[in-house]
Amino acid sequence: MSSDAFSILGCEPRFDIDLRHVERTYRELAKALHPDRYAQCSASERRAALERASAVNEAWRILKDPVRRAEALFALASVPVGEGKEPQPNAEFLMAMLEERETLSQARRDGDAAGVAAIAASVRKRVRSLEDRLTAGFAHGPCESRVHALVGVLGELRFCRRILSEIDEFDDFEKKGSP
Amino acid sequence: MLLDIFDPKAPPRAIGIDLGTTHSLVAFVSDECPRVIVDCNGKSLVPSVVYYGERGEVVVGDPAVSRAADEPQVTIASAKRLMGKGADDPQTRQFGPYSFIAPAPGEANVVRFAVRERGITPVEVSAEILRALKRLAEDELRSVGGAVITVPAYFDDAQRQATKDAARLAGLDVLRLLNEPTAAALAYGLESKQNGTFAVYDLGGGTFDITVLVLDNGVFQVKSTGGDSALGGDDMDRVLAEELLHLAGCEQSAQSPERIRVALDVARKVKHGLTDALEVEVENPFGVTPPTLVIARSRFEQLIEPLLARSGVACRRALRDAELSAQDLDGVILVGGATRVPAVRAFVRHLFGKEGLSGINPDEVVALGAAIHANQLAGLASSSEALLLDVIPLSLGIEVGGGVVDRILPRNTTIPAVARAVYTTQEDNQTGFEIHVVQGERELASDCRSLARFLLRGIPPMPAGLARLEITFRVDADGLLSVHAREERTGIEQAVHVKPSYGLDDASVEQMLMAAIDHGEEDLRARRLAEARTDARRMAASTEKSMAQDPELLIDGERESIERALRELERAVHGADIAALRGQIEHLDHATKAFAERRMNSAIAKALEGQAVERVEQRVEHAKGIEAAHEFKRAGVSALEDASPSE
Repeated sequence: MSSDAFSILGCEPRFDIDLRHVERTYRELAKALHPDRYAQCSASERRAALERASAVNEAWRILKDPVRRAEALFALASVPVGEGKEPQPNAEFLMAMLEERETLSQARRDGDAAGVAAIAASVRKRVRSLEDRLTAGFAHGPCESRVHALVGVLGELRFCRRILSEIDEFDDFEKKGSP
Repeated sequence: MLLDIFDPKAPPRAIGIDLGTTHSLVAFVSDECPRVIVDCNGKSLVPSVVYYGERGEVVVGDPAVSRAADEPQVTIASAKRLMGKGADDPQTRQFGPYSFIAPAPGEANVVRFAVRERGITPVEVSAEILRALKRLAEDELRSVGGAVITVPAYFDDAQRQATKDAARLAGLDVLRLLNEPTAAALAYGLESKQNGTFAVYDLGGGTFDITVLVLDNGVFQVKSTGGDSALGGDDMDRVLAEELLHLAGCEQSAQSPERIRVALDVARKVKHGLTDALEVEVENPFGVTPPTLVIARSRFEQLIEPLLARSGVACRRALRDAELSAQDLDGVILVGGATRVPAVRAFVRHLFGKEGLSGINPDEVVALGAAIHANQLAGLASSSEALLLDVIPLSLGIEVGGGVVDRILPRNTTIPAVARAVYTTQEDNQTGFEIHVVQGERELASDCRSLARFLLRGIPPMPAGLARLEITFRVDADGLLSVHAREERTGIEQAVHVKPSYGLDDASVEQMLMAAIDHGEEDLRARRLAEARTDARRMAASTEKSMAQDPELLIDGERESIERALRELERAVHGADIAALRGQIEHLDHATKAFAERRMNSAIAKALEGQAVERVEQRVEHAKGIEAAHEFKRAGVSALEDASPSE
C-alpha cells in the first residue's frame, strides 16, 4: 500500500479534491479494513488489517483538513514544510493579522459578540482566497517549480486558522454557564 | 429456550456488559434480538456495590447494598469513578464514607480503598462486579464466550486500561472495549434503521458523555465526543445530601461514615421522588428536630444547575468539533438513569432545541448495544453488520522543550489510528531521550494527564540536532495507545504499551489473578492452557477459511508450508506444553504473514474498484444528461436548465 494520503484514497494530488467523493471512498475502505471484520481471524490478518485501517484513517484525516492536505501536497512536490523550514510570512500580512488580533481582543474586552463575528468573517474570507491560490498552484499536480513560491501561502493559512480556533474557544468561554 | 438450557454442548455466547458507576448489567443476542439478562428475582440491574466480609467473603449487588448502612467503609460503591486514577486524586477527598491507603514505596500509584486493613484497588472491585455478571450470564447461557465491555467515551487511556485489567482479573475474554454512547447509538440505529446525524447525551451515575455521530447505511461514524468523567447522578446525590444535612442542622464536615452513607441514600430516594413529585418530605434520619426534611423540586433544580451547566459546555464543544450546529441534528438520544430527572430533560430541550429520544430504556440501552456488537465480533450476526468508526476523546502527545505539549494525535481522531513525529536532541552528546506521553487538551504537560514516561538510551554521542528520533503513536480499536520510539541513524528502538503512570503493572495484575483463583498457580496454568488452545483453534479455523476463500492469492509452495504449520499446531493443541503451543501459534502466524498481507491488499483493491465503477457510472449519467439537454435543444424546448446535469 503506497504511503501518501492521495494514493491511499485513490484521488489525484490536487488541493481542490471533491471531499464528498473522497469521503465515500474512505468509508468503503474503512468498511473493508476495519478490525471488527477480522476479529475472528488469525493474528497476521488482524495485524495487516489494523495497519491498513490506521493508514486509511490517517489519510482521511490529512485530506479533509486544508492545512494538512496542503502540507501533504508540498511533501509530494519535495518542498520542505513545517516549523523552521518555511519562510516567515511577509510583513504586510503580519501587520494585517496583528491588527485583526488587536481588534479581536478589544471586542473580547467589550464583550462585543458582533465585533468578534465580523473579524471571524473577515478571516474566513482571507482563508478562502488563500485556498484559491493553493488550488491554482496545484492544479497541475505537485510540481516543485510551480509551487515553491506558494509555501508562504501555507504559513498564512495556518495563521488564519489559528485565529479562527481562538475565536471558537472564546465563544465557548463566553457562553459558559448559560445554556 | 428449554432446549438451550439442557443442551450440554451449547456453543459459547458472546455477551455485552455495561459496567456502570451505580449499576451494571449484562445482555446477549437471541434470535437477532438483544435482551438483558435478569436474575432469579427478575431484576436486570446489579448495583455496582461490593461488600468485603470479615472472613474474606465477597458479596456483590443488592445483598451488598443492604450492608452499606451498617458497614459503609467496607462496602464499596461507585468504584468506577476512581478507575485508573492516582492515589492522590482529588476525588478521594470528596464527601464520602471511604478511607484510603497511600501506596507503599515501589507500589503502583493507584487508589486503594482501606478495607479491613487491606488496600483494595478499584480494578479489583470492578473485577468482582464483572465476575458476578459473568456468573449471571452463565446461569442463563451455560457457556459464555467473549465479552464487549462498555466504557464512557471520555475515559482516558489509564481508565480504559484499568477496565481491561479488571476484565482480565474476572477471567473474561474481552472482544472489545466499546464507548457507551456508541453502544447506545448502535441499539437505536439498528432498531430504527434511520440515517442522519444524532447526538447522544449520556448522563450516568458518575460520568457524562456527549457524542455526535452520523449514521449512514449501517456505518456509525463518530464525528466528535466530549464529556466529563467525573460528573453524574452521584454528584446530584452529593449536593442533595449536603443540603439534607444542612436542613437537619448538622455540620457536614464532622460526619461519621455511617451518617454520610445514610445522607447519600436518602438523597438518592429524594432525587427519584422528585422525578414525579414537586416536593418530597422525608423523616429526619439524623435526629428528632426538625422531625421531617422537605425538599422542593425547584430547590433541587437550583442545586444541580451548576452540574448541568458543566455538561452544556461539553455539548457545545462537541458540536463545534463536529462542525455542526444544534439545528443540524436529526435527534438527541438520552442515555443513563440521570436523564430521567425532569431538569435534565428540560436542559437538553433548551440546549438542542428538540425533545430527547428515550424510546429504549435509558438504563438498558448501553448493554443492549454492547450485546449487538459482541454478537457481531464473535461472527454470530447473520444480517449485514453495522460498522462503528469511533474516535479518541482526548488529544495524545508528548512533552517537548519548556514543558509544552506537542500533540501527535488530536482529539476526535478516528481509531484505529497511527501518527508519527520526528524530534531531535537539544544538547551536544545527549545519549538518552526521555519521552513523556500525555493526554489532554492543555498547552502544558503538567496540566495534562501523564500516561507514561520512558527513556530511549544508547544514542551515540553526537552534536545537538543531529539525532533523529521518530515517535510513533498507535491507538487500537479499543482506544488503547502504544508508543514506539526509534532513533533513525542508529536504529535503536523501544516500544511501550502505555501503562505505568496510573496503572497496575503486569506483575501486580498477575499477583491479583493468583490470589483470586483458589488453587493459585495450578489453576492459573490450566486457564492459560485453555486460553492458548482456544487461540490456536480459532487461528487454525480462520487460516483454513482464508485459504478456501482466496486460493488464487497463494504463491508456489505457500499452501504446503501453511498446511505443515497447521499440522504441527494441531499436534501441539493435543499436548499440554503451553510454551510449545504458543511457539506453534507464532510459527503459523509467521507462515501466513505474506498471504495475510496479500489478502488485505486485495480487500483494498476490491473496495477501490467499487468506487471506480461508481465514478464511471456517474460520468455516464453526466454524459447522458448532456445528451438529453442537446435533444431538448434540437426539439426547441427551452427548459434547458432543468435538464442539464447539476454540478
